[in-house]
Amino acid sequence: MTPSQTLIEGLKKRMLPDGGFAFFNGGSYRTDATAWAIIGLRSAGEGENLIEPGLNRLAGDQMRDGRVVTSPDAPDAFWVTPLAVLAWHGSERHKENMNRAVEFLLSTSGKHWKKQKLDPVAHDTSIRGWSWTAGVHSWVAPTSYSLLALRAVGKIRHPRAEEAARMLMNRQLAAGGWNYGNTSVYGRQLYPQPDQTGVALSALSPYVTKGEVIRSLEYLGREIGRIRTPLSLGLGLLGLGAWGDRPPGFMNWVRECVDRQNRRGIYNTQERSLLLLAISGNPALIEETAKG
Amino acid sequence: MTRRNSQTMPGNLLDRQLTRREFLIRAATGAILAPMVFPNLAGCRRSLESADVFIGRMGSYDGDIASIIFRGLGELAVSPEEIRGKRILLKPNLVESHIGAGHINTHPLVVRGAAEAFLRCGASEVLVGDGPGHCMDTEMVLEESRLGDVLIEDQLRFVDLNYDDGYRVPNQGGFSRFRSLVLPRTLREVDLVVSLAKMKTHHWAGVTLSMKNLFGLFPGTYYGWPKNALHFEGIEKCILDINATVRPYFSIVDGIIGMEGDGPIMGNPHHAGVLVMGRNLPAVDATSARIMGIDPKKVPYLAKASGRLGPIQEASIRQRGETIRSVRTDFSLVEGIHAHKGLRWSPK
Repeated sequence: MTPSQTLIEGLKKRMLPDGGFAFFNGGSYRTDATAWAIIGLRSAGEGENLIEPGLNRLAGDQMRDGRVVTSPDAPDAFWVTPLAVLAWHGSERHKENMNRAVEFLLSTSGKHWKKQKLDPVAHDTSIRGWSWTAGVHSWVAPTSYSLLALRAVGKIRHPRAEEAARMLMNRQLAAGGWNYGNTSVYGRQLYPQPDQTGVALSALSPYVTKGEVIRSLEYLGREIGRIRTPLSLGLGLLGLGAWGDRPPGFMNWVRECVDRQNRRGIYNTQERSLLLLAISGNPALIEETAKG
Repeated sequence: MTRRNSQTMPGNLLDRQLTRREFLIRAATGAILAPMVFPNLAGCRRSLESADVFIGRMGSYDGDIASIIFRGLGELAVSPEEIRGKRILLKPNLVESHIGAGHINTHPLVVRGAAEAFLRCGASEVLVGDGPGHCMDTEMVLEESRLGDVLIEDQLRFVDLNYDDGYRVPNQGGFSRFRSLVLPRTLREVDLVVSLAKMKTHHWAGVTLSMKNLFGLFPGTYYGWPKNALHFEGIEKCILDINATVRPYFSIVDGIIGMEGDGPIMGNPHHAGVLVMGRNLPAVDATSARIMGIDPKKVPYLAKASGRLGPIQEASIRQRGETIRSVRTDFSLVEGIHAHKGLRWSPK
């Protein structure tokens, strides 16, 4: 079997009889798993008949104000919303769900404040992005997911999208790369992370020049060859791919990563889906963006 | 990192070398038990007024860590009945991993040593789990810290608590405004939780030891990366809440090489050469702080824990093993960091 086939078959095993996907083998339904699985399977060219039950179940879990949350008893954990937008995108029957989710994103942001002179964190705390959960600061991954979602639905030049791009650029580390979203604390520059660098680069491609992110591309280009963990490899390849820098031998790394499950254990649904996105060149996220 | 494929059991319990796999299987099936290391001391268990803490000297990670922990369990009057047949979750401190910065995380050989010690005591299973606060890619933390290799070699199951299914429980602490907390499902599947912390300074909390280590129990899918809701609600209050709610059975602090200065990530390695352990987490952390030359009464969350979750007064803690003064080594503090101000311990 090819790596793609292995990953697709693995995801199919997580499909639940009443729609949706589990995060682990034998697990129960989860919104994040369902959104990721749909994005991954669609990027691999799997038919809508496979995806449709998941789309419906996700729609059934959408809250009245448009948000999609980790669990019904955790309404604050709304970071799944942009992933749901990407999952519903392209499904005519779920357009209303998608639009409500987009409206929720546009009406929501992380908590922000005017930068204080003696603040130990270096970044500009006033620039809005999106948070993982309600009532807290904006961070790199949820802002990147939300920016990708806005791009996918054609709101590439929406003021919130432009502001989010500024926020991400403000969180870029001076030496290149991104971490979860703190550049420096008490004067010490923090370390970059390949996964966060990958997702930020994926989101930013229409907003800034290559020169503005060249150090990050160089950092990721140096790191990616040694990475074999699925989340960082998947997001890293997506980030490089968004800038036309996907390394030519990347499929060998993906194959090694997929084979690594024999030793390290079976990957979760997010990880499998990200590898499928990386293999496919990511039509779900990047081609739609290019149209914008 | 030292990898060991076989070892001689301490205390002449066995007359030949066992492979690691043989040892773990025999331990798990109860073939290896400790007949003499549980002296059944009449020690204090979970008293708010007094507690026992064991300080074991361990110069490097190449030493026999399992035996020191095993000895500590005995000195602390942990009886075999408490452990036999139990499923134990070891919760190491995994934050980030960077080449050459191994002092960020609990050392893999301390995880191995703790697993061996509890299996030797008859635990039916030891699993390892954490939800790193800064890294979505836990697998990368395992790989780069080399803990992943240890887990595979020792056939220890790892649970990524960041992605575990969550369940909601009432907040038993009541220090923060959270009425409930979301915990990982794995906690329901184990009998005992052991905090396996790293001895570090911390630029928000002053120190991070076995109590702060429990932040890794909060699933990232509910709290994010970082677990920012806890910061907004108050780090100190949330440390107290998670401890009051989960009530870990035991803690072990890896102070063989800790971190000083701008911890928990950017600080420098500091060799303290100790493992500190006990049943009462505030007492263990207070002792660890004193070893670091830090006054626990000046660390706000430890001060608030005093009398509510456990004792932190030196006179209320019975030290087993080494004395604090014989191993004290001052960890450097950073003048410009607010949480470090005035922390230095000056015993009378």
